[in-house]
Amino acid sequence: MYGDATNWNEEDYREAILKEREIQTRTVFRTAWAPSAKIPNPDAFVVASSDGTLAFHSMNSLVSQSASFGYSKDLNVMAAEPERVVRAHEGPAYDVKFYGDDEDALLLSCGDDGRVRGWKWKELVESEVSLQENHVKPLLELTNPQHKGPWGALSPMPEINAISLDHQSGSVFTAAGDSCAYCWDVESGQIKMTFKGHSDYLHTVVSRSSASQILTGSEDGTARIWDCKTGKCIKVIGSQDKKSPHRISCMALDGSESWLVCGQGKNLALWNLPASECVSTISIPAHVQDVMFDEKQILTVGAEPLLRRFDLNGALLSQIHCAPCSVFSISLHPAGVVAVGGYGGLVDVISQFGSHLCTFRSSSL
Amino acid sequence: MEDGEIEEGMITADEFPTSEVTTETIPQPREPAKSPLELLRESKTSVEEIVAKMLSIKKEGNNKSEIRELLTQMFLNFVNLRQANRAILTEEDKVKAETERAKAPVDFTTLQLHNLMYEKSHYVKAIKACRDFKSKYPDIELVPEEDFFRDAPEAIKDKLVSSDSSHVLMPKRLNFELLQRKELCKHRVRLEQQKKSLLETIAERKKFLSSLPLHLKALKKASLPVQNQLGIQHTKTLKQHNLAELLPPPLYVIYSQLLAQKEAFEECIDLEIVGSLKDAQAYVRQQTKKDSGMSNNTESSRLEDDGPDDDDDGQRRRKRPKKLTTKGSDKAGLYQAHPLKIFLHIYDDENPDTKSLKLVILKFEYLLKLNVVCVGAEGSQDGPEKNIFCNLFPDDAGLEPPHQSTKLILGDGQAFDENRTSRPYKWVQHLAGIDILPEVSPILLGQETHNIDSAKSDVVVSDLSLYRQQHRVQRILQRIRSRKKAHLALAEQLDLLMKHELPDVKCEDAPWALHKVLCTLDSWLHIQASASMSSSLTLNSMEQVPEPMEIDVDGRSISGKEDLEGIREDGELPSLVTAAASVTSSNHTPLKVSNVARSRQLALMTKNLDSPISKGKSPSFKKYEDDLDLVLDDDSEVDEPAGTTEAHVEALYPEKTDNSWVDYGTREFALVFSRKTDGGKLCKLEATVQISMEYPLRPPFFSLSLHASSASGNENGTNESDHYNELRAMEAEVNLHMLKIVPSDQENYLLSHQIRCLAMLFDYYVDDPSPDSKRGTATTVVDVGLCKPVDGKLLVRSFRGRDHRKMISWKDRGCASGYPC
Repeated sequence: MYGDATNWNEEDYREAILKEREIQTRTVFRTAWAPSAKIPNPDAFVVASSDGTLAFHSMNSLVSQSASFGYSKDLNVMAAEPERVVRAHEGPAYDVKFYGDDEDALLLSCGDDGRVRGWKWKELVESEVSLQENHVKPLLELTNPQHKGPWGALSPMPEINAISLDHQSGSVFTAAGDSCAYCWDVESGQIKMTFKGHSDYLHTVVSRSSASQILTGSEDGTARIWDCKTGKCIKVIGSQDKKSPHRISCMALDGSESWLVCGQGKNLALWNLPASECVSTISIPAHVQDVMFDEKQILTVGAEPLLRRFDLNGALLSQIHCAPCSVFSISLHPAGVVAVGGYGGLVDVISQFGSHLCTFRSSSL
Repeated sequence: MEDGEIEEGMITADEFPTSEVTTETIPQPREPAKSPLELLRESKTSVEEIVAKMLSIKKEGNNKSEIRELLTQMFLNFVNLRQANRAILTEEDKVKAETERAKAPVDFTTLQLHNLMYEKSHYVKAIKACRDFKSKYPDIELVPEEDFFRDAPEAIKDKLVSSDSSHVLMPKRLNFELLQRKELCKHRVRLEQQKKSLLETIAERKKFLSSLPLHLKALKKASLPVQNQLGIQHTKTLKQHNLAELLPPPLYVIYSQLLAQKEAFEECIDLEIVGSLKDAQAYVRQQTKKDSGMSNNTESSRLEDDGPDDDDDGQRRRKRPKKLTTKGSDKAGLYQAHPLKIFLHIYDDENPDTKSLKLVILKFEYLLKLNVVCVGAEGSQDGPEKNIFCNLFPDDAGLEPPHQSTKLILGDGQAFDENRTSRPYKWVQHLAGIDILPEVSPILLGQETHNIDSAKSDVVVSDLSLYRQQHRVQRILQRIRSRKKAHLALAEQLDLLMKHELPDVKCEDAPWALHKVLCTLDSWLHIQASASMSSSLTLNSMEQVPEPMEIDVDGRSISGKEDLEGIREDGELPSLVTAAASVTSSNHTPLKVSNVARSRQLALMTKNLDSPISKGKSPSFKKYEDDLDLVLDDDSEVDEPAGTTEAHVEALYPEKTDNSWVDYGTREFALVFSRKTDGGKLCKLEATVQISMEYPLRPPFFSLSLHASSASGNENGTNESDHYNELRAMEAEVNLHMLKIVPSDQENYLLSHQIRCLAMLFDYYVDDPSPDSKRGTATTVVDVGLCKPVDGKLLVRSFRGRDHRKMISWKDRGCASGYPC
């Protein structure tokens, strides 16, 4: 605390006020469930937020902490202390994914500083340093290339907005701010392939390993399908003319990797990839910001505090109110539990039955 | 006895002769050699014989011759008798004389004996008297022997032989004692005399002194003009000091410490004690009387009082409802203040040579019953929102009495009278040296360890050394000064804004100061400070509930409507109002959301209070609650039933830590920026600005919403979610990030900075950098080596990241939208 007239510390108080505001303006860009081969129930998950930190939360402690807190639309949500915090990036951390399913899984994150960093999940969880600003040295560090201009001037470091993993070929695909997608080799840390063609920066990348393809979505309003082997663009989805103002903000493939859903503006477009045609378009009142397949259903969130569930025909199955007013991330645990994260640093964990397991504000750092 | 014997003897001797006289006469002549007694006896017998013969002769009568003879014989015998008698008498005389002679020594001896006896009894008496002698000071022992031997003068001691009996020693000791005492007596007399003379001199001097004040008064009077001339307020300070002595202890601490601060550090403050001297004296007298009376009673009655005290409490509790309704006379008693008050004039300390710039006048008063010090700004009778002293330090709205005891006196839930301008802020108690235990244990608040330590030290504050150590006076003065200056500056800025002018920023370093504002400030409206109302609601009576609610909600929407209509000539419906009812219900404007949330809070608060009055008397409030349910029903397309949410909310609410103090005195303003884009679209940026009492320490908080419409008048799908992230990013910029750039000396003009910054951000936002727009940021981009052109032209980026936020490149003095960093 900062005391009162007896021992006043104005600087501390000022900082406390700003800190409070900072926490409220933080955005959770991605949540990811940790792979747990043994335990089928969802437990640990990682939260990547706009202050560049990765925070690990455990469902067990969250649920016990939140016993007295219910779900509410109020802004009074529990501030949860994470189990571990890692400062992963300068600037926001945009995406976090697990590479591998077993105990040796790697945790990969990317961020505004144009880097991908990877840690051994097990080491990170068991590391001694807790809660403090944790500079665990990453096992893997990939840095986005900067372009050389005339006279060797370097372009600003483009951010990496999304990563996608292909475990079979040991590749990491990144969607970078320089309108290119890159394919990295996990072992060597070298760029294997560069996918050039978009005219504006990339929002999302999805790997379709069964066909050795990747799909990217860009600010320029198009999605492209690339062949990983040649690095050539196979197909451009969406019009490339400048009149369509809306970016492709998110994409998702279903389990069979034959259905693709693209979020563009306030619409979701469902593509059948083998047939290469748009099957249906779903209109949503708000901008779509993340989308995901759950078996034969589509989960989507946007700039509104709702989690919507559609079937493949575009019929609205349910919508669940969730805590963040603008939701940036859905992540689905195999058990059916969904974690959504968004503006305000809020994370809402919703069970397969639509009830709120816990809602919290990650109070990291 | 010898006497008696002698007497007897004498008597017998006396008798004897008489008998002898008769008997002696005869034998004596016959036998002179014989003892006269025998002679007497012989003569007697012979006389008897003769007589017998004569008688016989006579009877016979015959021998007359013989009688003659017998007669002669007879005479002879008589002579003898006489002789014997005479001899006896002389003898007797002789014996008598002899006796007489023998008696004299006897008498003498007897006399001597008597004398001795007398003497003896006298001595016995004297001894007894000595034995029984009682000293006047029985507790003073005789001088002990060793002292005597040591100290006694030789004159008394010299004849003393060591082997002398104790009896001899004793008188000597007594003598010594006597000597000593006599000397002491003499000494005493001497001292008495001295004392007398001293008394005399004292009396004399007193007389002189008593005459002195008159002279001095005259002198003082004469000196007044000189004092005034020279600016030395000696007399005045003297008077003030006299008054200060009558101050109650807390005010005294304030006075003395402020004075000390003033004198030690030349603080630009003035102190003044105001109030009637007589009243204060009367109060002090009454107090002492009460104290003395109390101290007699307390010991005995304390134990008994414990029980009744509880009863008292109960009574108070029972009385409270009455108090609520009548707010009657006993309240005045509660708020009775000490007759003396302290006025503190605070001057601007930045230009100390001119004392003219008076910042603020504080009035300190002491409430006797409640034992709290209150402070208020003198001369300002504004509402609580204008009271600059609240939240001078965190959590100090001045509504809640600082002591637990005061709370008890006032009763539960009963806040300090809000209508009073002077309030018992915690910092005033600290200034007055009254230290308060925090209501909740500091450990519970989850502070770090060193803070707990400091809290502990708070608890044990007893003397003023800690008080000084903490620089309380200095700190509080500094805080008041900066607060007042900030509010002056704020008022200045608000005045400008009221005239719809953008306040200037005198700062070279901030980019927004250099930015040429393209948008216009359309309106700046003061909205009823709803937050403070809500906090007052919880604390004050319930009758007020409906009104602020209506003002709050309706007032805002009406004002919004009016001003929107004022600008849109075509009279199209303002989106703000329609938003709630419009198609998809789920997209509230933030204003609406905050409204709903706030009213929800209010509803819950009233529920918590559970006052029968509110339930009975607030139909309009009820109505609003119904509306609210409607709103919730709209929401309930959501799978989750509305009821459960409500239940959750209710369950949750009491858990919330009470932060209502933050909102106390917060003012809310509605700000509208508008800008016509090249495409003919009209963009409106609405901001709700919350300016806290703690400005600028707690910077104004902006909540933004955006409305765009095309010139043709069609609502251009102004969906909140279109700009949601952008607006949040702008909010974050204005509320948080830009604050770090504002130089600290410009702090009081923070609002101007923020508004200018917001205007700049809005300009950038509206400046569509898309290739078809002519403006764009291309010129600034060329000089930077950018990404390799993909399609033959330079890539101009203005958005970045997953949240698609506008890039703003901050440079030293300027900033631009886009990527020229």
